[in-house]
Amino acid sequence: MSVNTQEDRAAAREPVPGPPPGGRPRGGSSPRGRTPIWNWRTAQNAKGASLSFPFLAGFTLFVIVPVAMALRESVYTTRSTGGLGFGGETVSFAGLDNFADGFVDGSFWSGMFRVFLYALIVVPLTQVLSLALALLLDAARRRAAARFRVALLLPYMVPGIVATMVWIYQYSPVVGPLTPFFAFFGLDVNFFSSSMVWVSMGNLAVWSALGFTMLILYGALQSVPHEIFEAARLDGASELRIAWSIKVPFVRGSLVLTSLLSIIGTLQLFDQPLLFRAVTPETITRDFTPAMMIYDQAFQVGNLNYATALSVILALVVGVASAIIYRFINREEP
Amino acid sequence: MRTNRTRWTTMGVAAAATVSLAACSSGGSAAEPDEPAEQAGPVSIEIWGWDAETGEQIVDAFNEAQDDVEAEYVLQASNVATQTNFQNAMEAGSGVPCLVQGFAPLTTMVVNGWAQDITEYVEGSTDLYNEGALAAAQVDGRYYGLPAGSDAQFYMVNQKTFDEYDVEVPTTWDEFVEVGRELKKDGVDITNLAGEDPTPLMHLAQQAGAEWFAIDGDQWVVNFTDERTLAAADVFQQLIDEDMVSNQTYMDRPALYKYFDSGKMASTTTQWWSLTGLQTNMPDSAGDWTAHPIPQFADAAAPVTPGRATASFVPVGCEHPEAVVAFHDWRTTPEAIEAGRNAETGAIGFPTQIPDPSDYVEEVVPEGFFADDQAAADEIVSAQTHVIGKFELGPNYDAWFPELQDQWGKAVAGEITLEEALTAVQEFVASDLENKGISYTVAE
Repeated sequence: MSVNTQEDRAAAREPVPGPPPGGRPRGGSSPRGRTPIWNWRTAQNAKGASLSFPFLAGFTLFVIVPVAMALRESVYTTRSTGGLGFGGETVSFAGLDNFADGFVDGSFWSGMFRVFLYALIVVPLTQVLSLALALLLDAARRRAAARFRVALLLPYMVPGIVATMVWIYQYSPVVGPLTPFFAFFGLDVNFFSSSMVWVSMGNLAVWSALGFTMLILYGALQSVPHEIFEAARLDGASELRIAWSIKVPFVRGSLVLTSLLSIIGTLQLFDQPLLFRAVTPETITRDFTPAMMIYDQAFQVGNLNYATALSVILALVVGVASAIIYRFINREEP
Repeated sequence: MRTNRTRWTTMGVAAAATVSLAACSSGGSAAEPDEPAEQAGPVSIEIWGWDAETGEQIVDAFNEAQDDVEAEYVLQASNVATQTNFQNAMEAGSGVPCLVQGFAPLTTMVVNGWAQDITEYVEGSTDLYNEGALAAAQVDGRYYGLPAGSDAQFYMVNQKTFDEYDVEVPTTWDEFVEVGRELKKDGVDITNLAGEDPTPLMHLAQQAGAEWFAIDGDQWVVNFTDERTLAAADVFQQLIDEDMVSNQTYMDRPALYKYFDSGKMASTTTQWWSLTGLQTNMPDSAGDWTAHPIPQFADAAAPVTPGRATASFVPVGCEHPEAVVAFHDWRTTPEAIEAGRNAETGAIGFPTQIPDPSDYVEEVVPEGFFADDQAAADEIVSAQTHVIGKFELGPNYDAWFPELQDQWGKAVAGEITLEEALTAVQEFVASDLENKGISYTVAE
């Protein structure tokens, strides 16, 4: 009968790092005093690592696997076997053809350009307004701030499609309250017109994102040590001066984060234009934004291969844009 | 506002339920004594469909009513599920059902080799159906599908508005444009063309006799710009050019109904299943509306109404097509139509496939909406009897419909002409078929 324990057998198979400095550990006993391979430190590490398992499993299943499948899908092409198109399909390897097509696809890149211009306005606007709100909340008394915080976060809790429906009714030139409101000031505003559609969508985007961004910035402001403000006040700095010279530099890291999230969200613009399409169909076409074009290719045209290739390109663009912004904003640390 | 919206939503759901119900149930007249096909006990047939509300109860009633055929309803989760399961069964060559609810245009079923030629069985009972229902069941003059009723379009007029501005109800599309001009002088729109919805153009093209897709041997013939289509486009082009229509969107329903209800929109084309929703949401103009035949093209040989249907079919491999046809014929009987009544809503499926659905029309005309309920009912029945039923949409309808939406939206906004729009759609269809490797030719 073998006297070897399970651990010993494992030790014989796999080389393991030596024992940690500090002598014989409490756990992981070894009957014959050999080097323990399953010592307490490894056990602790394994225990700690095991906590990440649920995340890793989900991440693998819902991110890594789909990305791998998409990459695989994007290098094939599917065509009918000919005739009237009902005799089945053939799938053939296309290499990087789909990507080559995607990189020169006029509609895709004009959509990208459109969203880029839109992001140039909407992203900074969201950041500035959220920061202003966060600073105001920070200046207010805690109890008042708590109440406003919840109210300002409400729009973020409304799903995008629902928010769009809500705003379409607000904008409605016939039954919405906004048209009479502006008419009261002598302004003839039609939120459904082609020229206003960007404003209509931008306002909706800012409204939705404001609360969440504000909350992150407000959280960051809470962690600024209060002694600094005291010192500044003693030196005669105004509240405005404190906000600009102390608070804003302190939340720079959070601003980078919220800007990146905002950019990523904006470049993937989808549900708002999808619903606004009915309102101004002459402006918002089926390939108006990159995400809409991908949807159209995948589920209407039925070209899943090309749609996934375009998705990969969009992901690359978002990644590059994020990296550039990250470097740009994060260039100088205070 | 909220109450209205909620109510509207409820209506929408109810309407949708009614439509799906109607799409699935059939009705009829002229009971025909079932002739026993074989003397050796009942024949079994399996029926696949996705009518969760009434599919099973109709089949149960059929089994009760006769002893020759034993039918079983296999409820599918959806249109797509039916297609998937059906394709699997066909490939496996076993478990093929005998009747499948149409999940795609009938031509698809024929070209795929899925649908049986059941001409010899259907021909014996053509008098049970209207011409549109029979047309929707045919490909190249043979019956590959079971006769299927279409929801026919009719013309609805705000009589109060017409009287106020002293115009006559148009009977041709030329007169329609003329009336539009008259009304325009007083700031009234003849109708509404929603920028996101090109179906009015599809309907008018169908009525004009256009054929956007045809099969020629082993290839499709694509033709979006023939003179029939352009004749249809010309009607709308005049309305758009001279600003005789509004472009209210369906997305903003409260606004749309408010406008419909305001008397500023003089008329619209519609179909039976829209009526309950209109009545609920148009309280002010209720009682002002009258129903009329849809205007015709001046050179039309006989009056026709737009509307199309997706026929159910008998798959290749089913050994009892005669039993399926017997079941389908039975569905035109009063007893079968009653069996299709929805237990929850109490709504009956309007039997659009039979020659004379007048016994059932009363149930679909909402009380107090039309100036004369009986006249409206007669008009709806008359529209059903003249429905065309067939309009081929080709092998890539899902792909080109959004393109048609885009182009229609631009045309309705006056940025391009409808002819340019149709040319662009045709080019899109050609390039999409090219990409997909499907044979086609564009008609000269």
